[in-house]
Amino acid sequence: MEADFTSQIREKARELLEKGTVECVIGYETGSDGVSARPSFIYNPSEVERLVFDNTCSHNLVKYLLDKKGKPTAIVVKGCDSRALNLLLSEKQLQRDQIFIIGVVCPGVVEWGWNRRSEQFQKRCDLCRQHTPLVYDLLIGTPVTEEPPPEFTDIAEMSARATEERASFWREQAERCLRCYACRQACPGCYCIDCFVEQLDPEWVGIRIATGENLMWNTIRAFHLAGRCIACNECERVCPVNLPLSLLNRKLEEEMLELFDYRAGMSEDATAPLITFIKEEKLGIGE
Amino acid sequence: MTKVLGKKELESWLNSIMQERILVAPKRVDDLVLFTPVHSVDEIAFDFQNTTLSPKELFFPRTETLFTIVHKDGEIEFTPVTVDRETVLFGIRPCDARGIAILDGPYLSDPPDSLWAQHRDKTTLIGLACAKPAPQCFCTSMGSSPTDTSNVDILLTEVDDGYAVEIVTEKGEKLLQGAELKESDVKPSVPQCDASVPAEGIVDAVKRAFEDPYWSRLADRCIHCNICAYVCPTCYCFDIRDYKAGGKIERIRTWESCQSKGFSRIAGGYDPRANKGSRLRQRFCHKLLYFPEQFGPLGCVGCGRCVTACPVNIDIREIISDIQERGAQVGQRSN
Amino acid sequence: MSADNEPLIIGFLCNWCSYAGADMAGTSRMAYPSNIRIIRVPCSGRVDPLLIVKCFQEGADAVLVAGCHPGDCHYNEGNYYSRRRFAVLRALLDFMGIDKERFRVEWVSASEGKRFSQIVSQFTEDMNRIGARKAG
Repeated sequence: MEADFTSQIREKARELLEKGTVECVIGYETGSDGVSARPSFIYNPSEVERLVFDNTCSHNLVKYLLDKKGKPTAIVVKGCDSRALNLLLSEKQLQRDQIFIIGVVCPGVVEWGWNRRSEQFQKRCDLCRQHTPLVYDLLIGTPVTEEPPPEFTDIAEMSARATEERASFWREQAERCLRCYACRQACPGCYCIDCFVEQLDPEWVGIRIATGENLMWNTIRAFHLAGRCIACNECERVCPVNLPLSLLNRKLEEEMLELFDYRAGMSEDATAPLITFIKEEKLGIGE
Repeated sequence: MTKVLGKKELESWLNSIMQERILVAPKRVDDLVLFTPVHSVDEIAFDFQNTTLSPKELFFPRTETLFTIVHKDGEIEFTPVTVDRETVLFGIRPCDARGIAILDGPYLSDPPDSLWAQHRDKTTLIGLACAKPAPQCFCTSMGSSPTDTSNVDILLTEVDDGYAVEIVTEKGEKLLQGAELKESDVKPSVPQCDASVPAEGIVDAVKRAFEDPYWSRLADRCIHCNICAYVCPTCYCFDIRDYKAGGKIERIRTWESCQSKGFSRIAGGYDPRANKGSRLRQRFCHKLLYFPEQFGPLGCVGCGRCVTACPVNIDIREIISDIQERGAQVGQRSN
Repeated sequence: MSADNEPLIIGFLCNWCSYAGADMAGTSRMAYPSNIRIIRVPCSGRVDPLLIVKCFQEGADAVLVAGCHPGDCHYNEGNYYSRRRFAVLRALLDFMGIDKERFRVEWVSASEGKRFSQIVSQFTEDMNRIGARKAG
């Protein structure tokens, strides 16, 4: 399967670059360890042999399209990544006609790191309900039938703990946070020109890399993605100190489903729940 | 003959150290290994390749108060922060010890940074030689080795019945007083580390390749987080700000990185390194060009942390090779 | 928790309804606990979640947001947005260890002085019951 996907991606990339349909193809290539994949930017048909697709291609490349505004670009997306495309299209951050989407039906990616690759699927892939891309110009692989949204047992477990236990759990996590902002930088939904955390007037969050400030950063980061997070889990993957950020994201995903029956990135003309309302709704607030 | 400290003797020595000083050692925290103050030998991780974060934090904490100012009865009271407690850092790898020694360049050259100087003065380094360098390690390429004694006070090397001890400095000798050393004819093995990264002559190559489009192509991939800077033993940039709480003003400094967006923004909003390529180039130019020009050694010790921690595989070893090649090409063209 | 060990409640009150409601409570000489520190805002829809989280980070025990009743917003729809926003924020904060009870959103009109005083009294009582928050 992998070899076949790889050759189809290369073939299309060559064609698009030769014809001049796109300026750049964003895909994956083998990294410096020879074991895992890394993002790849191909500008020349002679370079297409670098492109690969394998089960370590977990990076969500959609974020890179924000650097390519106004330039025709092709991009390789998996099912989860395609939700990020929809998100950015619905938020008018990308122009559909500037992008050629090479969709790949993704069987799931494995747990890996630099120079290490397991056979175990990533947890988010076990929970994945979007193996087939939702939006594409070329589809590689055979579409699969998607199951209904999963139940998050770890969210329920966390919610069942005592409040004070939850508080100390998150304080411990926040204590470790380095505020390197890799979670934000990797996230396709984080594209503010000036992030609240770096604003000086008002200075919402002080520059101390300390528990209180870190906790505030992580809380608001998660909240700004409420109804927008498409569950690619890049934030958690890139975190150098392994913070369980997906717990926050999935808690919010669950709330969005429960309160508004909404999943982010399912269509390019969707409206995120927090920028709209229904007058008559009851949400357990002020009632 | 080699001086050897048996495993039991090491334990009682560390226990005695804990009585009087803060002992900081590698400790497993979930999947990570972090330098943490420990209160019992059981907490210490011995079987690790290297810690997740570098020990620079002991000398250059992620957040540190520099001084406080209090306004009292019309008088201004200024109190600089001082480092009082003696600390022993156990388990530092030779590469990381070299990182700290390298940072003495910027931090101790005139005028010296008083907090760095105090942290250095109050800390004794017990090095732990690498038994088996990891695949990302390349200290030998950068002029050190897995058993380098140059920058520690004591170096321990694991042998069959304990640890071979090399006393490097007076500070180390003082700390070892009371430890039960025995003489042995055991010879510690000397492991090999990757020596193939072509660091020689890199300063000139970087200079020549400064305008090379290579940097902006590389920056395509970079997501500009601060991971590389924060895990690096030789990255030392910081931001400074004053905070006021309850009549007291505190000046603090925290880690900052040339990769973050506002880092080089100046009054009026202009940013001389606004694009991704120039920011990424800054990182490598600082390590491989500006730092050696100013202080002598390259600003990289080959610990390999950035190699494994980078989410998009920006690999400094690969960059050094590529830049050597590119620099040579430019050199040929201009001759 | 303030120095005298009393729970500290920060209240964001919309200018048009709830702040006027609090005023009404005052002019009608209705007593309510002084635990609440009131911040007047143009609309409950103006209250950025950052403000709420910042209050908790700085050590508040509880936060109250009060605005016009749904349908009565001075700007027609500000409180509809805040209703959604705070329903979600409340769940997130609770998940992260800030008890649901500590963050309350209420609709108080300009004529509901009595209701305002009751809300603040009840809120203070509840906070006394569940105790101080650990900082952080």
